[in-house]
Amino acid sequence: MSIHSSSAAARLFAVLAVTAATIFVSTFARAQDASAFHEVETKYIFGNFTVGSSTGVEGEKAFEPETEANFGKGGGGRYGVSQTTIEYEFTPTQYMQIVLGPTVSYYNIHGVPGLDDRNMGAINGFEAEFRSVLIDRNPSPIAVTLSLEPEFHSRDETSGAKVVNYGLEAKLEADAELIKNRLFWGFNLLYEPETTRADLGHWENESTFGISSALAYQIVPNVVIGADLWYLRHYDGAAFNSFTGDTVYLGPTFYWKIAPKVLMSAAWEMQITGHEPGVSARLDFTDFSRQRARLLLEFEF
Amino acid sequence: MQVNLFPRSAVLPVRAFFAITLLAAAVLFASEHTNAQQSASVAISVKDHRFQPGRISAPANRPISIRVKNLDSAPMEFESVSLRVEKVIAPGSEGVVNVRALAPGRYEFFDDFHRETRGVLVVE
Repeated sequence: MSIHSSSAAARLFAVLAVTAATIFVSTFARAQDASAFHEVETKYIFGNFTVGSSTGVEGEKAFEPETEANFGKGGGGRYGVSQTTIEYEFTPTQYMQIVLGPTVSYYNIHGVPGLDDRNMGAINGFEAEFRSVLIDRNPSPIAVTLSLEPEFHSRDETSGAKVVNYGLEAKLEADAELIKNRLFWGFNLLYEPETTRADLGHWENESTFGISSALAYQIVPNVVIGADLWYLRHYDGAAFNSFTGDTVYLGPTFYWKIAPKVLMSAAWEMQITGHEPGVSARLDFTDFSRQRARLLLEFEF
Repeated sequence: MQVNLFPRSAVLPVRAFFAITLLAAAVLFASEHTNAQQSASVAISVKDHRFQPGRISAPANRPISIRVKNLDSAPMEFESVSLRVEKVIAPGSEGVVNVRALAPGRYEFFDDFHRETRGVLVVE
């Protein structure tokens, strides 16, 4: 095992230990009041990089601004990019959920090697998401939902350059209830092919594979904390043709059901290890940012 | 300048988009077909912000039709995470909530406007 992977393993162990300690302490603290905890929808309890299997309740409609921000690239300079999707979410049946919305991006890039300086905001395309229940939680201990998310963007997500980009984010979103109404485990499997036409006029394909594991614990009623771990691999070509780099993200998550019709979900993650062929650095800054964060608010109506 | 939004290399995601739409239609059809089975009926009331009875039963593997009477003077919203349903019911009126066929088990429900108002559906 290399020094780098040992260091990553140590950090992972530390985070899991802290999470376990939190769970242990809070379990004893709240044990006398277990009846205060009720069922929760699992979709957003893992912080929304890892997504739970819940598809909402039939007839539910919601407005959801969701922002993903990426910070930091290698080689110095300042890098901050955010992408906000103004989502309309509705659940037409007990088996399916649909999400639609335009995207707005903001780029603050200065002095980053390989990227043009840019300080601007722009409307940046449209995203849709179709989620369908594959396996129900009862009698199965694990619930699984298939999510297909076609996307169109007019700006490159990393650099902000004008492009024409189509993508399809396909995910299997699974979760299990380890302790009833208290402790949940989430698992996602990701495949995302994209095709992009940049300035030179020709189209280039790329694809991303990902796998995640997350724990979420309802520490007090309506508040869930946890940790999320993602492994991502990036390729040139739509079908994993040429490996360009991989990374591991790890970070805490937070979910708060603020009111019966309002919730927030947040996650912050950083690269703890990574690899880019031909580069000695222990992180991959070409395909991924140093840190990433997500914040979602949901207003049901 | 002519902009080709759907070049040959972009055919894959475009096809995938239409495949998704067809998949969505198939799932919707399947769920409607499931709901077309003969359903079992159960009734429940809400009075003084309490479900009466607090526990109702229904057979497994059949769609369930829950008739909810709101006897209070305030509106209520019958909701359940595990049943994946919600319905607002005006004061002094009633509503019907249709639930898919379920496996045996306990399914919690509540009034989303008065969250202390809770009950359970036992499917056996």
